Amino acid sequence: MAAQDLPHASFIERYRNAVLGGLAVLLFFVAWQALFLIVPFNPLFITKPSLIATGYVDLLESGDLLHDLAVSAVPFFLGLFAAVIVGVPLGIVMGWRVRIGYALDPLMTVFYASPLVALAPLLVIFFGVGTAGKTIIVFSLAVFPFIFNVSSGVRAVDRLLVNVVRSLGGRERDIYLKILFPSVLPYIVAGARIAVGRALIGVLVGEFFAASEGIGHAISRFGDIFAIDRMFACILTVMVIAVVLTEGIRWAERAAFPWRVGR
Amino acid sequence: MVPYIHARNVNLTFRPPNRAPISALDGFDIDVEEGEFLSIVGPSGCGKSTFLNILLGLLKPDSGEVLMHGKKITGPGSDRAMVFQEFGLLPWRTVQNNIELGLELKRTSAAKRRTVAERLVSLVGLGGFENHYPHELSGGMKQRVGLARALATDPDVLLMDEPFAALDAQTRDLMQVELLRIWREARKTVLFVTHQIDEAIYLSDRVMVMSKRPGRAKKSFIVELTRPREYEMRVTPEFNDLKLEIWNTLKDEIVV
Amino acid sequence: MAETQALDLDLSAVGSARVVTSAFKQRVESMALGTAVIVLLLIIWELLPYFVSMKQGTRLFFTVPSRILATLWQMFASGSIWAPLGVSATAFAIGLALAIAAGLPLGILLGRSNTLNAMFDPFITAFNATPRLVFLPLLMLWLGIGVWSKVAIVFLGALFPLLINTHEGVRNADKLLINVVRSFGAKEWDVARLVVIPNSLPFIVVGLRLAVGRAILGVVVAEFFGAQDGLGVLMVRAASSFNVDVVFAGLIIFAALSLIMTGLVKLVEERMNRWRPQRAATE
Repeated sequence: MAAQDLPHASFIERYRNAVLGGLAVLLFFVAWQALFLIVPFNPLFITKPSLIATGYVDLLESGDLLHDLAVSAVPFFLGLFAAVIVGVPLGIVMGWRVRIGYALDPLMTVFYASPLVALAPLLVIFFGVGTAGKTIIVFSLAVFPFIFNVSSGVRAVDRLLVNVVRSLGGRERDIYLKILFPSVLPYIVAGARIAVGRALIGVLVGEFFAASEGIGHAISRFGDIFAIDRMFACILTVMVIAVVLTEGIRWAERAAFPWRVGR
Repeated sequence: MVPYIHARNVNLTFRPPNRAPISALDGFDIDVEEGEFLSIVGPSGCGKSTFLNILLGLLKPDSGEVLMHGKKITGPGSDRAMVFQEFGLLPWRTVQNNIELGLELKRTSAAKRRTVAERLVSLVGLGGFENHYPHELSGGMKQRVGLARALATDPDVLLMDEPFAALDAQTRDLMQVELLRIWREARKTVLFVTHQIDEAIYLSDRVMVMSKRPGRAKKSFIVELTRPREYEMRVTPEFNDLKLEIWNTLKDEIVV
Repeated sequence: MAETQALDLDLSAVGSARVVTSAFKQRVESMALGTAVIVLLLIIWELLPYFVSMKQGTRLFFTVPSRILATLWQMFASGSIWAPLGVSATAFAIGLALAIAAGLPLGILLGRSNTLNAMFDPFITAFNATPRLVFLPLLMLWLGIGVWSKVAIVFLGALFPLLINTHEGVRNADKLLINVVRSFGAKEWDVARLVVIPNSLPFIVVGLRLAVGRAILGVVVAEFFGAQDGLGVLMVRAASSFNVDVVFAGLIIFAALSLIMTGLVKLVEERMNRWRPQRAATE
């Protein structure tokens, strides 16, 4: 009875939370900056927001940051793309053909559960520190979320709907296009949300190892030369990218599949 | 003499953040005698449940007085217990441990709790289900647990907030019969909130109709049917006359 | 119950050519097929050198299951594995323990306070979305390449699944149940003890399962880039000297540990779910 116009309330509630969150972030940076008015400042180990901002400007003006990001973006997207191309069909088949699911599930589970990053040294040495090695690392990490999400999505398809389409004279093709694909699409997007995070790990692992360019390389190099301000600038950039990607996908999920909200 | 439960001019307004306030009760009066079975019927959202929650001590009225035994109600107490519409059983506790909840919070010894729970399990007809979890029970059985839990602390007043609304029609009829049987044995004062006029008449000594929100007492009807009540009484002319009379009072309050 | 199950089977048979079989037969079939595929792949891998000729360079990177197993056996038999494994396990254990010690109280706190939750939300979202690996160079700078930078990475990896799940479990506590125990005179602590904590336990255990996986991952990557000892260090050194067997042996050990530990947590999870038939929480 007290909850009749809840949507309205939750909108305002959300607005309030955004303000609080924004204030907290602002406060955090102000406190960080102000801290060194009291505490002695050692530029070899720590930095402050004002210096990070200067570092940002340097990186942007020299074009280094954009160049490194562009270099990292190639294996990131190639690997993700390959993961979709392989993972989605494999997931559909594993979910729809029960025996194939039985056959491949344990194998995939072993792969998914094991820290595959552990193979990165080998992959890097074998395929080199360039795009190929990184793409393969990204792929091997990102493919499993797609496989598992899609196959569980297919298994969750309402069999009643399949029967409805069949009873209306639908063929196998109609079942795939009208039932399977739309039902599985949300699962693909949800898989993408997880895969993006793992793909970022893949890129960073590849670039920490022995790369000569890329954002991961930049972070570890700035660390080596105690350029803390520029290092923080790069780290913050990665954080922003990670948040934009995952929250962007989350937002897309809500916008594109409103019927799934609350599941 | 002040009646057993005595409420005068009770007002309560909900003030949800960022929204218009909702006046739930406005000048609500009620008197209940000891041992009486009183039903409250009224349109959805008229504040029936709100009043039960005030009696229970979970809500505080903005103004007005609510007395029990001549004493002001300041919070929950073991002299009152509620049976909730959605059962409210702790899903991680067995039937037995759910029934013992109130006693546990009163720091009763484990041995005493066990004795009480055993007696109540058989009173509400759940023998053999002591160690089942709520999800293994049907709706009717869940509400039997809810009833046993409320009776466990031996309250003077039983507050029942649409206790059978979540049950199917047949189970509901059976539970009404059961409730009367248990009430005969336990002899509590009962405040019973419901939407169903039949249910109210069949169970109660008196039926009170509430107005639409903000709720106030509109009119009370004495039920003259003899006790013990028989199921057949529900098809007698007296029953139907009363039902019609109550309906005529209630229907003006219902907003579709 | 039995009725709906039969219905499910019947309908799922529509999707495949499968006839309705008993659940037991199905389980045997699924296990047999799954094992068969893995065994078959291992055999093919083992026999591959007999059918495919490899260039000298490629052969450096190639090994077969039998050799990996022999290496693994030898590592355990000689006892050479225990020292690095101990180093890794220490970092894992300390990091995970710290994550639990910090994540649970913080999760409960944020679950109970809307204001604090709103204020912490941007930070949690940001740190949770970002691969914790990105902080490794910084942590190495601050904490050196000993055990503490590893602990920090494990901690950061394990903290958020625990915190987020605890928070979710606390917030998810049923208002009705809280009212029920209040109506019996429960104080704030009783509400926590009787409703909030039992309700969030399954969530916490799911969080723990995720945290274990993240923690192991954290140990691996931290040891790859900035450590002196540990299983991961052993693997990187082996890789750079083309000792592929050791790399795979290390992977198997990490994978086995990961599977065993998440399996143990799953057991707890299932035990806990006795009172709730449906799956508990969000992942």
